[in-house]
Amino acid sequence: MNNIYRPIEATLEDVITESPNIKTFVLSLKEPFEFRTGQFIELTLPGIGEAPFTPSSDPNIKDKIDVTIMSVGKVTSILHNSHKGISLGVRGPYGKGYPLDKFEGKDILIVGGGVGLAPLRSLLFSLFAQIDKYNKVVLRYGARTGGDIIYKDAIAQWGKKKKVDVVTTVDVGDPQWKGNVGLVTTILKDLPVDLKKAVAIVCGPPIMMKFVTLKLLDLGFKPPDIYLSMEKNMSCGLGKCGHCRLGSYYACKDGPVFTYEQVKDLHDIWD
Amino acid sequence: MPDCYFIDSDRFNALFQQLKKDYKVFSPAQKEASGEKPQYYYEKILTSQPFVFNAYRTQEPLKAFFTYPYEEVSDYFSAQDNIKDIDEKTMIFGVKNCDIVGHKIQDFVFLEGVAVDSLYRLRRENTLLVSGDCTDYKEVCHCLSWNIMPYAKEGFDLNLAPIGGGYLIDVGSKKGEEAVQKYKGYFSDAKESQLNARQAKRDALVERLKKHLLPQDLVPLESVQKVVKDGYNADTWKQFMQTCVECGGCNLICDTCHCFLLAEKKEGNLNKKVRLWDSCLYANYARVAGGANPLKARAQRLRNRFMKKFDFFVDNLKMPACCGCGRCIEVCPGKIDIREVLKDLAVKTSAKNE
Ligand SMILES: Cc1cc2nc3c(=O)[nH]c(=O)nc-3n(C[C@H](O)[C@H](O)[C@H](O)COP(=O)(O)OP(=O)(O)OC[C@H]3O[C@@H](n4cnc5c(N)ncnc54)[C@H](O)[C@@H]3O)c2cc1C
Ligand code: SF4
Ligand code: SF4
Ligand code: FES
Repeated sequence: MNNIYRPIEATLEDVITESPNIKTFVLSLKEPFEFRTGQFIELTLPGIGEAPFTPSSDPNIKDKIDVTIMSVGKVTSILHNSHKGISLGVRGPYGKGYPLDKFEGKDILIVGGGVGLAPLRSLLFSLFAQIDKYNKVVLRYGARTGGDIIYKDAIAQWGKKKKVDVVTTVDVGDPQWKGNVGLVTTILKDLPVDLKKAVAIVCGPPIMMKFVTLKLLDLGFKPPDIYLSMEKNMSCGLGKCGHCRLGSYYACKDGPVFTYEQVKDLHDIWD
Repeated sequence: MPDCYFIDSDRFNALFQQLKKDYKVFSPAQKEASGEKPQYYYEKILTSQPFVFNAYRTQEPLKAFFTYPYEEVSDYFSAQDNIKDIDEKTMIFGVKNCDIVGHKIQDFVFLEGVAVDSLYRLRRENTLLVSGDCTDYKEVCHCLSWNIMPYAKEGFDLNLAPIGGGYLIDVGSKKGEEAVQKYKGYFSDAKESQLNARQAKRDALVERLKKHLLPQDLVPLESVQKVVKDGYNADTWKQFMQTCVECGGCNLICDTCHCFLLAEKKEGNLNKKVRLWDSCLYANYARVAGGANPLKARAQRLRNRFMKKFDFFVDNLKMPACCGCGRCIEVCPGKIDIREVLKDLAVKTSAKNE
């Protein structure tokens, strides 16, 4: 019998500091484990608690997964103080993930805010692995300050790739920062995408997703072409515990990625 | 082979004693409640206790046999699967049709969808549900308003209907049929006259219940989803919520409510994953990282309970998650009555539509 609540044991192989409050945790799992980009896991500190995270690594890498985590509360702060070698529990993968087939032949606009770039990095790796299938990839990323930008070296590399266009911005400038200053919505002007064949994928804090969505609609994106990562309280990940209800969906099993078309008529989606 | 049998009272009592040897048997015991109709509570029947036929549902919800308020659901990092539930054949008497219908929600949640809860399935497979026709009702009973009859036609393994001198037993499943075959000697085939007698009793109770419910003018099944949807912004939620003490009782006692929380338990050096029943009336139910909470206001949480019952489940399972058993009404220290909340919404939304 298969126990759906049983966590797989994982060893914490490495901890990479990305910003003052964001770290990437490299896990090796002791049982076979595969995920599709955009699916999430429940990561447990045994005896302490668990929380949902979306792997930020390339799904084609099978022996390790990365999760990039911002320290915001109980589980995440203890994780941030954890060291290599400890055992963690992993349940999942859960949810539907990104529908890559729907992106084929498209201009793919990816808009990230803060730690929201984590799941998007996994998506980018998946797109890059089969870049011939897509027309182009346009990344727009905003962080609070220059110091809060994660994956700095990778972002610089991505910008040099063929068919890839990258612009970053920060909310608050400082003397070291030489780039754009302003909310991520300010770098959504003059996008090098053809609206007739464009999709937009957005991940970030609810308030950021709200304003980005409004902006995208303004620019002429259609609700079925805007993909959003909906954050809800989650416990089981399996559509059983009831916590993540979003209208008549469960964010865990029907999402966590939804098109704006699916959720636009629901109440209070940005709360 | 007819699927309805008769057993007289003496034989039934003998059979009941035998069943206690062959199964783990749960059956209600009657407790007198001052100034009210008696109440029925489940007990594991061990001794030579005689059988009690409960006139209406028990105090406890049926779900309590299949998931527990607090239980271990997994070890950490054991190579094998680690469900340690006792594999014991169980028979539950005293189930009513409201329980049977409400339990469809639990089955849907734990047996369907993206994954099957194997602990739940094991308990379900090991259990025979023995339902019984209602012979009376409680003030809070309103099954009929959801088109649910006070007697079961399906969803049980065996169903008992008391008629003169004994019971008619309906067989509702393969498990039920096997049980009947095992104790064949106790039964005779039901006679036409006995079936008629059962129908007369059923009809009489339905008439009494209709008389009880008609003056209440309850929101009917057909319009309940529209009522909660149209009433999303009504002040009903705030008004009714004023007396809520956030005890969670309404959810915990509800046969359709299924929300739970996975949590951790430390036992020396050993860690276990535990599952606790949860309630959407609790303040932290929907809290997310850093303290944000989409159900921060108390009225939002009451509304969540109703949207889940009358919108989500109507969309997902074509039935509301309310079976009219009235347990939430009885348990609520704030005297919040699900019937009254719906009626208030109906009044306010129809006023708005005019
Ligand atoms: C699908 C999904 C993917 C995500 N991916 C990422 C990611 O890749 N990276 C990332 O950084 N973040 C991600 N998040 C957010 C992440 O899950 C949260 O930051 C994390 O849950 C915070 O946990 P915490 O214990 O540190 O925070 P806390 O604020 O301490 O707790 C948050 C959780 O614990 C519960 N809780 C806390 N206190 C109480 C209490 N007193 N009583 C009851 N419940 C309580 C809350 O209800 C909530 O569920 C994701 C979220 C979702 C839903
Ligand atoms: S709600 Fe109906 S089925 Fe349930 S106990 Fe009352 S009368 Fe019987
Ligand atoms: S039983 Fe009544 S007081 Fe308790 S949480 Fe439910 S509505 Fe509130
Ligand atoms: S997290 Fe449990 S139902 Fe979605």
